[in-house]
Amino acid sequence: MGLTALLARVATGAPVPVFAVAGPGTRSLIRDLRLRPEIRLVDTPRPASVLLVGGLVPAEMEMAVARVHDAMAHPRATVLWSAGAAGLGRPEGFDDAIPVDGDPVAACVAAYRDILVGRRGSEPPILPDVDPAPWRGVGPYGQGGSGMTGGVPYGRPMAELGPDPDGLRLDVLPVAVGPLFPRFPAGLVVDARLAGDLVLEVEVANLLANATAAAPSPEADPFLRALGERVAIADLELARARAHLRSVAEALLAAGLEALALRALRIAANLRAGDGALVRRLATIISATQVLRWSLRGVGAVPPEAVAGLGAGPVARASGLREDLRLEDPAYRDLGFAPLVDAGGDAAARLRLRLGEAVQSLDLAARAGARAATATGRVETPRGRLEAESSASERLFTVLPSLLREHEWGDVVATIVSLDLDLEEGPLARGRARPEAAA
Amino acid sequence: MRPYVGAEVALLATAAALVAGVYLVAVLDRFAAALVAGAVGSWRRLLVVPLAAAAALLVQQRRTTERPDGAGWAVAPALFFGLAAFALALVPLGPDLVIADPSTGFVAFSAAIAFVMIAVFLHGWSPNSPFALHGAYRYGAAALSFQIPFLLAMLATALPAESLSIVDIVRAQEPAWNVLRQPLGLPLYLVVGVGVSFWGPLNLSDASDVAGGTSVEDSGVARLLWTIARSAMLVAVAAMGAAGFLGGWWGPILPGPAWMIAKTGAVLLAILAAGHLLARVRIATFVLVAWAVLIPLALLNVFVSGAILL
Repeated sequence: MGLTALLARVATGAPVPVFAVAGPGTRSLIRDLRLRPEIRLVDTPRPASVLLVGGLVPAEMEMAVARVHDAMAHPRATVLWSAGAAGLGRPEGFDDAIPVDGDPVAACVAAYRDILVGRRGSEPPILPDVDPAPWRGVGPYGQGGSGMTGGVPYGRPMAELGPDPDGLRLDVLPVAVGPLFPRFPAGLVVDARLAGDLVLEVEVANLLANATAAAPSPEADPFLRALGERVAIADLELARARAHLRSVAEALLAAGLEALALRALRIAANLRAGDGALVRRLATIISATQVLRWSLRGVGAVPPEAVAGLGAGPVARASGLREDLRLEDPAYRDLGFAPLVDAGGDAAARLRLRLGEAVQSLDLAARAGARAATATGRVETPRGRLEAESSASERLFTVLPSLLREHEWGDVVATIVSLDLDLEEGPLARGRARPEAAA
Repeated sequence: MRPYVGAEVALLATAAALVAGVYLVAVLDRFAAALVAGAVGSWRRLLVVPLAAAAALLVQQRRTTERPDGAGWAVAPALFFGLAAFALALVPLGPDLVIADPSTGFVAFSAAIAFVMIAVFLHGWSPNSPFALHGAYRYGAAALSFQIPFLLAMLATALPAESLSIVDIVRAQEPAWNVLRQPLGLPLYLVVGVGVSFWGPLNLSDASDVAGGTSVEDSGVARLLWTIARSAMLVAVAAMGAAGFLGGWWGPILPGPAWMIAKTGAVLLAILAAGHLLARVRIATFVLVAWAVLIPLALLNVFVSGAILL
């Protein structure tokens, strides 16, 4: 046996490096895959060996998926996962990809073993492997030449001089991040003009806005059901606590605390109504990590007037607004529900509030008995007010650029993570209202 | 005459120490992460997975980007690893057990730490990629701020020894370890030692909010070498911490080298556990704290240590 073959055999014992793309409806399923020790979700496609695509990727994102695929090192394979009813998409060019309905992790592990030992060939690039335009540099290192500075010449972003807040004229580089940046929700594109690490100007786009989507299973999301029928409060509140803990896990990942994020995800995955003490203990550990102080204090300040009336749920409540649809529900009033409010307004306040609401929801779930929420066609989800036509995250989009402008890139990421944008909620609600469109 | 070993022995000993140290970092880091995550797997898995992951990177293609600085990209991990080896070679295991003990050992160690900035910046510059370059500049900004308190904390240890030789610095700790004589020294040293190897709370240049920063474009053997070089620097920083502040080879019952290895392991474990228990700082906050708090504290440490000797 040659050395390469021996190393390949040893490598099959490693966690499979997977770059995951969450199509609409598969967001939390993909996030929970982090708990599986057989695979390791990586932040960048370069070291990934398996590309995992969940659900139906909308046409607007297919090019990004193809570019991520082509950025992966050889040997590589693609697994397309239907995630139940979310649907199996096969983006253009992915003819060799492996479709799977059941456990995506087993499929990733099998694909990885096959490409390592040569039972399966590495996938060729999908896009033509040519420069976006001929390189016109002339110097020994390809530098210089005419028309090679400023803007986006021949498809390559180049820095050009621009004013900065200190009154200097510095290099400004246009950089588009997304729609598959792992810290952002799938479908979010942040088009920033960067001066060093400062975001001078920013535009945001939602590539899931026109997506059609179906929830992986009818039971998957009690909030979607609550749009049209009476759903047990115990189910809704347990789902809310779970969603908040997953959001907390994302914030911990962004703060470099992957192990603690896993702990939060694990609590969320096995959550029961009596687990309030477990969540409180997690909150104590999180507080000890200083994430609420030196990472997030003062970051991503949301003035209450910016989000008033948007129904932005925890984002509004963490800015001191007493906005919560549950206040209008007699069933919740019967339980003595009063929303938690935090006047902080920053990313730390939002993280604190979600931890507090998770504990509160578990308490409500434990006391709710057989009570069911009143069906009014609108529901307070973990992100805020969801209606058949729009979600809280979609409405927050209008104020997003003003929250990100003139902040450092690290703070921009922390701010977006702290808003817990969920771009699939809107398409799922619309797909539920018009099932023929989702089919 | 100060001890210097031959080139062959030096190479072998440093290589052996670094291989063992890097593997120890990989295992301890996984162990600490598993404890924090609340799910410790089997010991076998803990010991084997780092080796399997290394093999996986060895058989993976090394991707490049459009118009990279190929030479710089290849040299950066080698330079970083070389600096770690150079720094570690100055750390004594025992009074006569050291690869090199120049009379200016402290200065040599400081030089190695200062050069790390070149390696990290080169690594971020070379791939011609925005996030990588972003990470490189972050390291530059942080390094300028933490290298001064780092050197001041180390400098204070040379005062009671009245020598810049690392062996003399350890020898002078026989009556009392520096961690007791200069209580500010070890915390200061550890804060910036973590910064030098950009680990945990001070991992600004290879952070998750820039998708891996300077290593965002690394795959295959390039990623493996960069990981190894970072771990090696962490070992060197921990070993020098044990020598400079925790009394090096001094200790009861056990032989000196055993004490030195145990202390290095303890410092490593503390750093790695902190990496999973402390959130990453904002770079603006850190730079402010470094200049406004760490440097004054480090100066105070030097003045007080000097005053006690007078």
